Amino acid sequence: PLSPGYGQQQQPGAPQPGQQQPYQAPVANMTNQFSNMGFAGGAQPAGQIQSVSLMGIPPQIQDLYNQPPTINLPPNASITSSPSANSDPSYQRSTINAIPATEALLKKSRLPLALVIAPYRTLKDGDEPVPVVSDTVIARCRRCRTYINPFVTFVEGGQRWKCNMCFLLNEVPSAFDRDAITSQPADRWKRAELNYGCVEFVAPTEYMVRPPQPPAYVFVIDVSYSAVHSGMVATAARTILDSLDRIPNEENRTKVAFITVDSSLHFYNFNSSLTEPQMLLVSEIDDVFLPAPTDLLVNLTESRPVIESFLEKLPDMFKDTTNIKNAAGSALQAAFKLVSISGGKIICLQSTLPNVGTGALKPREDVKLLGTAKETTLLNAASPFYKSFAVDCSRSQVACDMLIFGGQYSDVATLSCLPRYTAGQTYFYPGFNAARTEDALKFAHEFSELLAEQVGMEAVIRIRASKGIRMTSYHGNFFVRSTDLLALPNVPRDQSYCVEVGIEDDIKTSTVCFQTALLHSTCHGERRIRVLTTCLPVTSSMSELYGSVDQYAMATFLANKAVERGLTTKLDDARDAIVNKVVDMLGVYKTHILGSGSGSTPQLTISDNLKLLPALTLGLLKHDGLRQSSQIPTDLRSNAMNLLKTMPVQLLIPYIYPTLYSLHNMPNEAGEVGENGVVLPPRLNLSGEKLEPHGCYLLENGQNIYIWVGRGVVPQLCLDLFDVKSYEGLRGGKITLPSLENPFNQKVNMIIGKIREMRRGNYYPQLYLVKEDGEPALRLWFLSHLIEDRTDNVLSYPQLLQLLKDRVSSGSF
Amino acid sequence: MNFDEIEDQDGIRFSWNAWPSSRIEATKTVVPIACLYTALKEREDFAENPIWYEPVTCKAPCRAILNPYCQIDVRSKMWICPFCLQRNAFPPHYKDISNTNLPAELLPKYTTIEYNLNRTAQIPPIFLYVVDTCLDEEDLKALKDSLIVSLSLLPQYAWVGLITYGTMTQVHELGFGDCPKSYVFRGTKEYNAKQIQDMLGISATTVRPGQPQPTGLSANRFLLPVKDCEFVLTSIIENLQRDPWPVANDKRPQRCTGVAMDVAVGLMESTFPNSGARIMLFAGGPATEGPGMVVSTELKEPIRSHHDIERESAKYYKKAIKFYEGLAKRASTNGHAIDIFAGCLDQVGLLEMKCLVNQTGGFMILSDSFNTTIFKQSFQRVFQKDAQGHLQMGFNATLDVQTTRELKVCGLIGQAVSSNKKSTCVGETEIGIGNTSAWKMCSITPKTTVGIYFEVVNQPTAPLAPGSRGLVQFVTHYQHSSGQYRLRVTTVARNFTDGQSPEVATSFDQETAAVLMSRIAVFKADIDDGPDVLRWLDRMLIRLCQRFADYRKDDPQSFRLSENFSIYPQFMFHLRRSQFLQVFNNSPDETAFYRHVLNRENVDSSLIMIQPTLTSYAFDDTPQPVLLDSVSIKPDVILLLDTFFHILIFHGETIAQWRKAGYQEQEGYENFKALLEAPTVDAQDLLIDRFPIPRYIECDQGGSQARFLLSKLNPSTTHASNSPYGAPQGTAIFTDDVSLLVFMEHLRK
Ligand SMILES: [Zn+2]
Ligand SMILES: [Zn+2]
Repeated sequence: PLSPGYGQQQQPGAPQPGQQQPYQAPVANMTNQFSNMGFAGGAQPAGQIQSVSLMGIPPQIQDLYNQPPTINLPPNASITSSPSANSDPSYQRSTINAIPATEALLKKSRLPLALVIAPYRTLKDGDEPVPVVSDTVIARCRRCRTYINPFVTFVEGGQRWKCNMCFLLNEVPSAFDRDAITSQPADRWKRAELNYGCVEFVAPTEYMVRPPQPPAYVFVIDVSYSAVHSGMVATAARTILDSLDRIPNEENRTKVAFITVDSSLHFYNFNSSLTEPQMLLVSEIDDVFLPAPTDLLVNLTESRPVIESFLEKLPDMFKDTTNIKNAAGSALQAAFKLVSISGGKIICLQSTLPNVGTGALKPREDVKLLGTAKETTLLNAASPFYKSFAVDCSRSQVACDMLIFGGQYSDVATLSCLPRYTAGQTYFYPGFNAARTEDALKFAHEFSELLAEQVGMEAVIRIRASKGIRMTSYHGNFFVRSTDLLALPNVPRDQSYCVEVGIEDDIKTSTVCFQTALLHSTCHGERRIRVLTTCLPVTSSMSELYGSVDQYAMATFLANKAVERGLTTKLDDARDAIVNKVVDMLGVYKTHILGSGSGSTPQLTISDNLKLLPALTLGLLKHDGLRQSSQIPTDLRSNAMNLLKTMPVQLLIPYIYPTLYSLHNMPNEAGEVGENGVVLPPRLNLSGEKLEPHGCYLLENGQNIYIWVGRGVVPQLCLDLFDVKSYEGLRGGKITLPSLENPFNQKVNMIIGKIREMRRGNYYPQLYLVKEDGEPALRLWFLSHLIEDRTDNVLSYPQLLQLLKDRVSSGSF
Repeated sequence: MNFDEIEDQDGIRFSWNAWPSSRIEATKTVVPIACLYTALKEREDFAENPIWYEPVTCKAPCRAILNPYCQIDVRSKMWICPFCLQRNAFPPHYKDISNTNLPAELLPKYTTIEYNLNRTAQIPPIFLYVVDTCLDEEDLKALKDSLIVSLSLLPQYAWVGLITYGTMTQVHELGFGDCPKSYVFRGTKEYNAKQIQDMLGISATTVRPGQPQPTGLSANRFLLPVKDCEFVLTSIIENLQRDPWPVANDKRPQRCTGVAMDVAVGLMESTFPNSGARIMLFAGGPATEGPGMVVSTELKEPIRSHHDIERESAKYYKKAIKFYEGLAKRASTNGHAIDIFAGCLDQVGLLEMKCLVNQTGGFMILSDSFNTTIFKQSFQRVFQKDAQGHLQMGFNATLDVQTTRELKVCGLIGQAVSSNKKSTCVGETEIGIGNTSAWKMCSITPKTTVGIYFEVVNQPTAPLAPGSRGLVQFVTHYQHSSGQYRLRVTTVARNFTDGQSPEVATSFDQETAAVLMSRIAVFKADIDDGPDVLRWLDRMLIRLCQRFADYRKDDPQSFRLSENFSIYPQFMFHLRRSQFLQVFNNSPDETAFYRHVLNRENVDSSLIMIQPTLTSYAFDDTPQPVLLDSVSIKPDVILLLDTFFHILIFHGETIAQWRKAGYQEQEGYENFKALLEAPTVDAQDLLIDRFPIPRYIECDQGGSQARFLLSKLNPSTTHASNSPYGAPQGTAIFTDDVSLLVFMEHLRK
C-alpha cells in the first residue's frame, strides 16, 4: 500500500455503561483512520459474500471506517503491476466496485451506479504526491481522446497502444522510448501515466486558450452596520493581513483588489507609489461602473505596503457607521468588471442581507412554512440574478466564494448560488460575533485556510468511460457548459463531485474504465491535466455486485440525490427516496441473493460491506439538511444541504454519523501522542443510553465539537478540564478549553486539536460546552446528533430497522 | 461738474447729469439716462469709522432709507421720504437730533453710506474648488501649487471643499481620517439634485440606528473650515494624479466638466443654500462627455467657431447652453457664485459656460495654461485682502433701486440676475435685465460695476416745478467676507430741466455714455446678429449728432461738436472695431471673456478696453499719449500700448536695433537705458491693480508680436485711403477697415 490503511480494526463493541472500558485495540494505525478511507487491501476475501443480520444489534461502528470492497480485477488487467494503477478511492470511487454487464442487471439490482470524485483533494502528511509527467508528451486516443493509462494494452511489439475505452489502435509516441532532450533511451514502463491511476500531465500550449493567468483575488467585504458591529470586518482585515504570505504568489504575479460595500461601493486605489490607499466611493449601484481604469486590481507584491496599510486601517474606517444597507449584488458586478478579463476569484464576505441595488433580497423566511412542503421554496434562490450572474462569472473564469455571517436571516439559499455555479465555496457563520474569541478564531482559521488554498484555475472536467457506459447527470459546484463538460473557474482543493452513470449497451469486456481529466492551471502558472483512471471488473453476478458496493460512496450518492430531490420537489420526497432506495437494496438482497422469497422473515440481512448503510441512512434522515422538522432555520438547512453536496467522503461520513467519545473514562493512551500521532479514544454508538450522569463526553461531526457534561459529574473533573470548581459553575455555549497543568485537560486538548486537523477541508470545528440540564436549545441540538435514539419524533435506529424490515417484507423485488 | 469726485464719493457716473423733464424730451437725447455704479467702491472712511447701527427706513412698502436728501424736522423729530412723500417719525434713539447734531446718514458726505448690520452669516464664506485633472504633468503641478498657496491666502475660518474631475467626477471627503476618500460620479450622466444628495449621503434618507446626525453637518465631510482641514486638503491636492483613463492619440481626454459642475452646484445647494460661497472651476480643456459637452473626444472634430455658431452647425452648442443655464439658475437661486479659470491654449467652452459666471458675479480668467503668470497672479489676486485683512469680496448680494416717481428703472447690464421685484419703480422699457427693480449678485467686489438704465416717464402735461430733482437710491445688501451682513446705500439726486435747455447737453458725460452704450451693444450682440448691432450703434450716433452737433445742412465742413461730445464718436468708432463686436478674429471663448470683463469694469477701465491707450517715449521728451493711429509708429520711439487685456511695449526700428546691439549696457548711453526702462516702469504701474492680469508683450518693429499693436491702430495709412496730410509718415497697415477719418467723414454727411 502507498500509505497505511486502517485495515486494523478497532476494539469492537460498545463500552458498557458504568464501567471502565479497557482499551485493547492496537493503536498503531488508528491515527490514520481518517486520512485515507479505504486504501488498498480488501476487507473480505474476493468472490465471497458475507451476510450480516441487522436486527437487534446497534450499528457496528467499529467498522465505520473499514475500506470499501476490494476491486477484483482479472490478472494482468493493467499493463504494469503497479499497485497504484487504479486511482485511490479518495480521488475517485464508484458506488459499486464492479460493473454489471447489462443494463438489465443494473436495473434488477436496484443499485445506483455513480462515481464520487474529489479530483483536487489536498495532500496530508504521509500522502503520496501526485506523480507528474513533465515532458509534455501526452498520448491520447485519436478517437475518444482518452489519456493513455495503466489499463491500455501495447500491441504490435509495443509500436501501438490499444485504447481501453474504444479499442482503437494508436501510435506510441517515440518519446516513450527515447528521451527527446537527452537522446538517451528511456524506459516506457517507468512512465507515471502507465503506473498511476492518478497522474498529472504538464500541458503544452495546445491545452491553453491563453497563457495561464495570474491568480486574482477580489475581496468584496460588507461594511454595513452589522458587519462592522459584529467584528467581521476587523477580523477579516486582520486575517487577510496575516495571511498575505499564504496567498499563492510564488511567481509574484498574484493580483488583489478590495471592494467594501454598504449602500455604496468603496473601491481602493493601491497604486504602488502611494503610501496609503485612496478610497473611491461609488454610490451609483443600479448601473455599476469602475471609478478608475487601473490601480484597483494590483500586484500583491508590488503594492504590498499600501495594501497592508489598507488592511491596518480597515477595521477603523467604518467603525462609526450607521449604514444598514448593503448592495452586494452591485459590488459583485463591480468585482466582476475588475476581474473578468483575467479571471480569478471573488471572495464575498456578507453580513447584512443584500437589500439595495442589483440582486437586492428581502427577508423572506416564514417560520410557518418550515417543515411543510412549501419549505422547498425557501431553499431555492429568491432572485434569478445570482444564478445568471454566476453563469456570467463562469464564462469569464471567475469563481465566487461566499462567506455569510448571519445575525439575522441571510438567505444562504440564494447567496450560495454563486459558489454553486462558479465552483466556489460557501461558509456560514450564523450569529457571528467576533467579541467571542471562539467565533473570531473559527472564522479567522477557515478564512486563512481558504486564502492559502492552492486552487486550480480555468478548469474543465471531462469524464470518459468505456464503450457502453455513459454519464447521465452531475452533482456539485460547477457549471455544465456542454453535455459532458464541467466548467470550474477555480478548483477548490477538497470538493467532491458526484456523477451518475448509466449502461447503454451490454458490456462484453471483462473490465471497464472511468477516466476523469481535470484540465486546469495551477496557481503557479502552469497548465496541467490531472487524470484519474479507475478500472472496475464487469460482472453478471448479483451477489458480486452487492459484495462490491462501497457503502460510503453509496451514502454520498444518496446524500447528493436527496439534496437534489429536496430542492426540486420537497424534503418529504427526499427522505422517502433514501428509505426507498435502502428498502430496494435490502429487498433485492433478500430475494435475489438470499433467495428467501417474499413474505415476512424474522431477520433483516445485508452483505457485510453494506451493513452500515442503514445507520448512515438514518444519519441522513436526521441530518439538519434533511430532517423532518419545523425548527430548523432555513439558513442552517441550506448550509447543511450545501455541505452534504460538496464534502468529500472523508468529511461527509462523520458529518452524517458523528463521532462520540467518552472522556471521563477514556483509556490511558488516549490523548497521548502515539506512533502515528494523537491516539483517540474508542468511539461510542450515538445513543443517549451511553451517557452516564457523571460522565463527560465529546461528540464531533467535523463542523462542531460538543463536550457534554452530565449533571452528576465530579467537581474534580470540572476543575481539571475547565478550571471551574463545580458543575454549577460551568457555563454552556461556545467555549475555548483552557490549557491546564493536568493530564486530563492536556489529553482532551490534544484530542480536540487532533479532531480539528485530521480531515481535509478548511473547516475549524467550533467547541461547545453542553450541560445536561443546561440551556434546552443547546441540549437538544446536542441530543439531535444521537441519531440512534428516537429524536425529534424521528425513528430510532431499531425503529428504522423495523420499518425497513416491514417494507422489505411487503414489497416485491 | 466733476465726474471723478462724484465717482469717488458715490461710485457712480451718469450718462446725463441733468434730466429732461418729460418722456418725449428724454427720448430725444438718444443716449438713455443711465449710470455705471460700483456699489462696493472702497471708501477708507467706512473702514476707519464704521457705522454700527441699523438704517432708518420709511414705512412699508416704500422702505426707502433715510438719506441726506430727506427733509427733516428736528423739532417734531419727523422726516419726509422723498420717494413716497410720507412722513416718518425718527426712532426713539434719535431724540437728541438737531441741526448741529445729525446722524451720519443725513450728512452730505454720506450720500453713500455703509451700515454694519447686527447679523452675521451662519457659515463663513465657502470656497469649493472644482479641479480638472486632464492636464499634462507640468500644468497639473502648477495648478496644484497655486491651489495649495491659495489655502494659505484664505481666511482660516473660511470653509473649503474639493471636487476633481476628468473622465469622472470625484468629490473629496475632507473629514475622513483614515485615508483619502472621494465619491465618484460617472462623467456621462446628468444627475439631479436629489440623486447627488443621495449619492453623497447628505440627505436624511439614510437610516441611522445610532444617534441621528444634525442635518447640514453631514456636509462637513466635504466642506470644512480651512483651519480644520488644511493639512488633509494639502495632502490630497499634493497627491492628485492626472486622470488615469487612457487617451488615444487621436482623441481628446474624456472630460466631464458638466457633471463636475452639476455635482458642485448640487452639493452646495443641498448643504448651504443662501450661504456665501464660490464654486471655483479650473478647466484645462473643453467638456467632451456628458451633459454640457462642447466638443466630442475626436480630435479630428474641431471645437466650434463663431462661423459654426452663425451657421448653426455647432452640434453641442444649444444643448450645452441650455444645460449650463440651468446650472447657473440653480447656483444663483442659492446665492452661490461660480468662477471659471481656464488654462488652455484652445477653448474650454467658456462661451457655453459664461452664464455660470455672468449670472452669479463670478470671476472669469482666460489663460493659456495654469503654468502662466496670467493665471497664477490673477488667481492670487482673487484672494487680495483689504487693510483690515478681509477678502475683497462680498457674497450673496442684492441691489435694490428706488426712484422718485418721474423716473423708472429699465434694467441692469452687468453680472447679476433679476430678483423679479415688480415695484412701482419698474419702467415699461426694458434694457438689459429688466422688469425688476432689484437684482441678485452672488458675488460682488469693490470693483464690480453695473450699468443701470432709466427712463423719464413724466408726461409734458404734468410739468415739473422748476428746480425739482429726481432721486435714485441704491441699496446693496451683502454678506461681507468677514461673515457680517452689511448694507451699502447710495442716494443720488439730479435736476430735471427743460428738454431744450443747454443744461442737458452740458451735463453729458461722454465717457460714461460710451461705456453704457457699449454695454447695450454687447448685450444686444449676445442675442442679435453682429451687423444689426453695428447698424444700431451707427443710427444712435447719427441721431445723437443730429440732436447735439452744430452743422449746416449739406455742408459737412460745418459740422461741430461741443467739447463734452467731441470724443464720443471716436469711442463709437473704436467700439465698432473692437473685439467686443468684431468677433471673427477671436474664438467664441475669447469673445465671451472680453464681454464678461467689459461688463464688470468701471468707466475708466472700460474706456481702455474700447479705445486702448498708446503712449510714446522718445529722447528728450516726456512720455506722451499719442493717437491710436499708425502714424504714431516711428523708428526712434518706444510705444506703450494698453488695451486692458494686453500691455505691449513696442520698440521702433532704430530703438530695437540699438537695444539688440546692447548700447543700453554701455557707458555713455545712460539716457538710452533710461528710455528703455521708462515704459517698463510705467507698465508695471498699470499691472499693479489690474484684474485679470493682462498679457504682457515686449516686441520690436517688424517682429511677429508687433501684430498685436498693429491690429489696434487706426488704419489712417492703409492703401485704400488718401491721407489728407500728404505723404504718410507711419507704417502702412493693410486692412479693409475704414479709418477714423473716413468714419468721421461719413458721419458728417
Ligand atoms: Zn479511444
Ligand atoms: Zn418712502
